[in-house]
Amino acid sequence: MRSFTYTRPAEPAQPWTELGPDAMYIAGGTNLVDLMKCGVAAPGRLVDIGRLPLADIEVDAATDTLRIGALVPNSDLAAHPVVRERLPVLSRALLAGASPQLRNLATLGGNLMQRTRCGYFRDLAMPCNKRVPDSGCAALDGEHRGHAVLGTSSRCIATHPSDLAVALLALEARVSIDGPNGPRAEPIEAFHLPPGETPERETTLTHGELITAVEVPMTTLGAHSYYLKVRERASFAFAMCSAAVALEVREGTVRAARIALGGVATTPWRAYAAEAALIGGPPSTGAFARAGDAATEGAVPGRDNGHKVELIRRVVARALSTLAATDTPATDTPATDTPATGTPKSPGTGEAPRTGEAPGSTEGEHR
Amino acid sequence: MRETLGLTGPKKGCDLGQCGACTVLVDGRRITSCLTFALMHGGREVTTIEGLGGDPEGDLHPVQQAFVDHDAFQCGFCTPGQIMSAVALLAEGHAGDDDEIREWMSGNLCRCAAYPNIVAAITAAAGR
Amino acid sequence: MAALTKPKNLQDVAAPGRDGVGASPLRPDGILKVKGDFAYSSDLWHEDMLWGMALRSPHARARILSVDVSAALAQPGVYAVLTHEDIPGSKFYGLEIRDQPVLAIDEVRFHGEPIVIVAADHPETARRAIAKIVVEYDVLPSIGPVEALDPERYGYVHAPADYKAHAFGNIVHSQHIHHGDGDSAEVRALADVIVRGEYEVGMQDQAFLGPESGLAVPAEDGGIDLYIATQWLHVDRQQMCPVLGLPPEKVRLTLAGVGGAFGGREDISMQVHACLLAQHTGKPVKIVYNREESFFGHVHRHPATMVFEHGATRDGRLVFVKAEIVLDGGAYASTSPAVVGNAASLGIGPYVIPHAAVDATAVYTNNPPCGAMRGFGAVQMCFGYETQMDRLAAELGLDPVELRRMNAMEQGSVLPTGQVVDAPAPVAELLRRVKEMPLPEVENWRTADGPDVRELPGGLSNTTHGEGVVRGIGYAVGIKNVGFSEGFDDYSTARVRLEVIGGAPVALVHTAMAEVGQGGITVHAQIVRTELGVDQVTMAPADTRVGSAGSTSASRQTYMTGGAVKQAAEAVRAVVLARGRDRYGWAPAFAAGLRLAGGKALTAAGEVVADLVDLLGDEPVDETTEFRHRPTEAFDKVTGQGFGHVQYTFCAHRAVVDVDVELGLVKVIELAAAQDVGKAINPLAVVGQIHGGSTQGLGLAVMEEIIVRDGKVRNPSFTDYLIPTILDTPPMPVDVLELADAHAPYGLRGAGEAPTLSSTPAIVAAIRAATGLPLNRVPVRPEHLTGT
Repeated sequence: MRSFTYTRPAEPAQPWTELGPDAMYIAGGTNLVDLMKCGVAAPGRLVDIGRLPLADIEVDAATDTLRIGALVPNSDLAAHPVVRERLPVLSRALLAGASPQLRNLATLGGNLMQRTRCGYFRDLAMPCNKRVPDSGCAALDGEHRGHAVLGTSSRCIATHPSDLAVALLALEARVSIDGPNGPRAEPIEAFHLPPGETPERETTLTHGELITAVEVPMTTLGAHSYYLKVRERASFAFAMCSAAVALEVREGTVRAARIALGGVATTPWRAYAAEAALIGGPPSTGAFARAGDAATEGAVPGRDNGHKVELIRRVVARALSTLAATDTPATDTPATDTPATGTPKSPGTGEAPRTGEAPGSTEGEHR
Repeated sequence: MRETLGLTGPKKGCDLGQCGACTVLVDGRRITSCLTFALMHGGREVTTIEGLGGDPEGDLHPVQQAFVDHDAFQCGFCTPGQIMSAVALLAEGHAGDDDEIREWMSGNLCRCAAYPNIVAAITAAAGR
Repeated sequence: MAALTKPKNLQDVAAPGRDGVGASPLRPDGILKVKGDFAYSSDLWHEDMLWGMALRSPHARARILSVDVSAALAQPGVYAVLTHEDIPGSKFYGLEIRDQPVLAIDEVRFHGEPIVIVAADHPETARRAIAKIVVEYDVLPSIGPVEALDPERYGYVHAPADYKAHAFGNIVHSQHIHHGDGDSAEVRALADVIVRGEYEVGMQDQAFLGPESGLAVPAEDGGIDLYIATQWLHVDRQQMCPVLGLPPEKVRLTLAGVGGAFGGREDISMQVHACLLAQHTGKPVKIVYNREESFFGHVHRHPATMVFEHGATRDGRLVFVKAEIVLDGGAYASTSPAVVGNAASLGIGPYVIPHAAVDATAVYTNNPPCGAMRGFGAVQMCFGYETQMDRLAAELGLDPVELRRMNAMEQGSVLPTGQVVDAPAPVAELLRRVKEMPLPEVENWRTADGPDVRELPGGLSNTTHGEGVVRGIGYAVGIKNVGFSEGFDDYSTARVRLEVIGGAPVALVHTAMAEVGQGGITVHAQIVRTELGVDQVTMAPADTRVGSAGSTSASRQTYMTGGAVKQAAEAVRAVVLARGRDRYGWAPAFAAGLRLAGGKALTAAGEVVADLVDLLGDEPVDETTEFRHRPTEAFDKVTGQGFGHVQYTFCAHRAVVDVDVELGLVKVIELAAAQDVGKAINPLAVVGQIHGGSTQGLGLAVMEEIIVRDGKVRNPSFTDYLIPTILDTPPMPVDVLELADAHAPYGLRGAGEAPTLSSTPAIVAAIRAATGLPLNRVPVRPEHLTGT
């Protein structure tokens, strides 16, 4: 690790005045310290913003908005009673990530800034356009079983690792930012940048800017939301595919829907086509399957990550059907065509209920 | 902490927050100490395994005793982290049943897989 | 040595308790471990010590054109920068074949191979110095296991000119076993059904939590004292002495705390590097790997490709088996020859099959070197033959457990190596026991409040409330050898001293056995209490002042060093009782019939005839003995015949899984095991071993694999190489059978490895039962279940 100087601004007003050209902010440190240890990040100066007064969770009753300070630890946010009741997707996404110790350290702002787990990004001996612009992308032809199929470019297919950001995207949260050029705010969807030609630029933050808070509207949708994550062990693993979903159903018809995906895209990914496939129709198994299909729109699988395309279908359909089945309050009229959740088969029958399509038959469709 | 203060109880199992062997308490909250700089915690109370029983030569903390009694380790490398995590888990009120203990201990890897005995030890320490 | 802060576990440790053989006393080192006082090799500190570090190859295969260390040497705080040219002695080491360069010479053969070592006053200084070293490479295409078999076309991992293996081409070692009439046309004609399958096992890592580390301290006599986490002190020394150019008495090793091993510390890693740096600088040098370096720094479990054919009669009698196994040995031999021997000789499983033809081969490749890991060649095979047994049962319409029981070996059976099994081999009984254990509740996730997601696949990831979930049950059984085989002179040394201290008899046990968490020292104290009837036992640190104990591997330490401690204690007892002859005029026959218990000498009838304190007087009794198991013999090179293994051990598993067949998620609901341990010297430790082995088998079944692409390791971290968490680990009921092996101390049978074998195939069989998928490769990934 490179030597660095460290400062912790005593006064909260303008931490960027402490920042030199070679400096970075640090808060929880769970991602930055990791990257410093493996040599990917090498700041000459760390400005510790960890004790700035940005750790409150406030409910703005007038606008029914939850304002979450950027330094709120993930664990506190997950456990907050208002979050649990009114924004369950947020709590579930947080608890599905990392470990209790990491959630105690990691902050909201840092989570939105966390960088990819792509092995080539972390391997200094290999080319990576995100780490060293224009050096090439080793993942394209390399090991990319876990890489993104959505939002990719010819220069980067690294997966965005956050669970929290996916939930916030589904909730249409806004990111509050402050910096040398004054405060600003933008939708989280605009905050994360797809790799395009410049995979090294991951967010709209410019040097000196920092996230101060995230504002989450506490809508009916938010209250009827769910987070589902497929990972390769029961805990403490990044998503292969995750979905944050929210549904508003009136009189047997989906009036509003939000679907965001994690683990399959280069940014937290909003699946508009999937939402569109639901709106105006009944919250039925068939509709959920169609939404799953639509969620794969634009997917570009590589040699070894085609499985993610089918997984998106199934994850979206499952998340929606689980939400519809377990979250009755928003659904004032039950769905009409088929039950949204299959009855589990008896053990040992060996007959697997299958949604989606036959294995292998979907490979080429979305290339 | 390990080199300057000589507190080698917290272990570097991965040094990247992936195993939990370095778990310590900061103001009573458990964290992976490998992902944070000591400087960042000035003025806070940091408890390592060495500080758990109070007097280094004194009695064991009830969680330490439970780990001994239930043979909740083999090589013992992950044990200081497991114990610190378990102490925090009990304070958090997450020892309601075996599943809850497993959920809230899942940030501490044990390759010897003394997991069944770890659950038993924490259950005993919780007084269930 | 005064400047070494000597932690408590490098001093004599008292073993508390009164429990002897068959009880479950607490670990002597337990209190130290829970208090954080137990010093692992990474925790050692010495005044003025330097930190060592290695520059490793970023390429799997490349010629080294030049190495420029000048900038590194010029950096302040750097004390030494060494290449192969600075090695005073031999430039190679290796457990079986000395083919591995201490530092790469003119070519690198695997990703992560060390090329230069640096000693500096701070780890950061060392890291920066490493970054300043300039190596020019001519990168060559790497040779994988397929290319390795065609060296004419793809080349040699080791140039034929300096070829060091005993075979040819890129082959490290091969073993053929020919039993009965092999797989001849006549034999094939006897089979009503022939089932053929191809299987693959991915590269598993030991993933011990305590990375490689140690402290080398130069001594005044020109020698080195090394404090180290290893599995076998003496074989480390044996490999290092020629490199350092020092005689064995000048290379003294002491075991520091070992954070798990599982085979990964059988080979040396940083040992010789630390010693070279200490020798060169005259200063103590500590090396501690980080996790990534640990993945590069030790050998892994051999990936395997296996082709099996099983022939059986319609009523389910096995007629023949043919197996062709290729193991990826990686760039250097390590223990590949012995792994091949195991794969071949244990390759048909614990079954009686009249005809067998087995070929096992390990090849050199430019992949990471592979060697010892718990189960050692038997794990891969068990996945293959047990899958075959299930497939055969399906083909024959038989119950898979019944098919296994019908063909199970037993005491008196003849193995394909011609060896007659002369100890209990309760294979059928173990299967019966796991099968008859009560099954976990079906749909155990249903509660009055709705589904409990914690009991479902995906758990707290909220993936299912029961949708898509199908239960499956699978069985498997395996066979593992115990101890070193194929004619190796396998022995262990123990020293036991008995004396009166403070008016009470106290025993000291001194061995070189590596306590890696298995509980060996607990067991030694139990044995001494049983044999000498004393309460107070003290354990001396393991070091090379006493003779070799052999490795803590091959499930052998309780047998071997336990046996040595028993033998030494018996020798002490004989001396003590002989003193009674002098002191009390006991007749030799009378003295020989006495035993020691509770600090007294007693007759067989329990009559106290003397106090041990009085017998001992003020003259300690101190005995050192070597213990050997029955000699084995090498397998015939052509036929594979021979008394190759001294003991066999068996474990059976039943796995119950719930699979979310839509999302590809598996939850192991329960993993039940039945194992014969001959005699449970410490029942608590036995269960711990079975839990540990079973869980590592679970890891191989559903998540663990080092991903190597073009020779490069792509997931050297605990985020990308996943091992089971506590949430992945199911309840594991264990049924321990104790059928004594008359050839072994107390009748015991090595216990540590067998559960690692059958766990994997049982789980995969259960997943197959739930999904109907063939699943011929482990680990099974979600996409293998979703069919995408």
